Amino acid sequence: MNQLIYAFATWLDTHSWSTQLHESFYMYNWVESTHVLALMVSLGLLFLIDLRMLGLAFVDIPATAIAHRLFLPMLIGFSVMIVTGLLLFYAIPVRTSQSLWFRIKVVLLIAAAVNAWLFHRRMQDAGSSAAGSWDLAVKAPRRLQIGAALSLIFWGFIVICGRLIAYDWFDCRGEPSPFVSTITGCIADQTQF
Amino acid sequence: MSRSMLPSYTRSVAVIAAIGLCLGFAFSNARLDTYSALLPLFEWMETTSLGVIGKTWGAVFATVEAVHLLAMAVLGGSVLVSDGRLLCLIFNDVPQRQVQDACHRLFVWSLLLSISTGVFMACGVAIKVYYLNVFWYKMLALMVGVVFVFFVRQPLLRHDIDRLNPWVLRMVAVASLMIWFSVAATGRWIGFSG
Repeated sequence: MNQLIYAFATWLDTHSWSTQLHESFYMYNWVESTHVLALMVSLGLLFLIDLRMLGLAFVDIPATAIAHRLFLPMLIGFSVMIVTGLLLFYAIPVRTSQSLWFRIKVVLLIAAAVNAWLFHRRMQDAGSSAAGSWDLAVKAPRRLQIGAALSLIFWGFIVICGRLIAYDWFDCRGEPSPFVSTITGCIADQTQF
Repeated sequence: MSRSMLPSYTRSVAVIAAIGLCLGFAFSNARLDTYSALLPLFEWMETTSLGVIGKTWGAVFATVEAVHLLAMAVLGGSVLVSDGRLLCLIFNDVPQRQVQDACHRLFVWSLLLSISTGVFMACGVAIKVYYLNVFWYKMLALMVGVVFVFFVRQPLLRHDIDRLNPWVLRMVAVASLMIWFSVAATGRWIGFSG
């Protein structure tokens, strides 16, 4: 698996656009800045929904109104974040694919996506079964609260991991311990980093 | 029905006077004198325990940086919703007062978290940021943002919002979005400078 990821990353690295994006000071910084600023639209709005479900903000406003009205702008923010995130990976594919933090981030992203899907389903179930009886309650039903709390935790750690990718503590170039080397997917005698 | 552009003339005069003072400060020697006088403060910041932790423990610095980002995300979310409502783009069926009050509470908490994590980060790289123009642009944008929210926006929105001129509300919302975008963008640019 690690060999396959490495082969894919080195193939991406052979693209001239990848090198150009990486070496372009302004373009790379614009992409990275857009990625971070898209956080304010996507995560900012997602956190507002989560905080409403937990009864920590917007308690006077119906919970479903918050969730439904903020869904589209949040989705636009996430789309921008995904596109710019893929571009950032494309710019530095080998090092990023072998970053311990990037790998943890990907696992957390999958967990957050599954949680979001379950949250969405639970919300539909809660809406149809209770006929909106909880909509004006300070806190959402327990299952939705758990989903909201998990969402806050997952995304909090995703941002932390994303920030830590910049640090080279566990890079393959630094010859990490065998355990870390296995997790990060370092290849014996690899020539590209 | 009152359609007054500026409900409080005293405050308006004070804001215009403050802007005049800032411009006078910016284009006089006082700015350079103040800049030089601030160097010892930044040197001291690096020697504080926050500065030492920030410089020594990269993981702590990065984690605080991530918390700063998360706080900025919540701040951005609250600004977007509250200005979106003023612009009649979102929550049009929810009373203005409810949306504005809820957003402002969240805004204050996220601003406090952003500033406290920001102070920690600045302590870790105090001398570096002292010499960065973009750091001072960010501080200026932040100061403008805080003054705008607490001395212009909030006093205005404390009145009966439905009786205020809609164009005033739109101008306030657009100005607010531009100011907070500038704060976030200049903050991001600090990372690329120096």
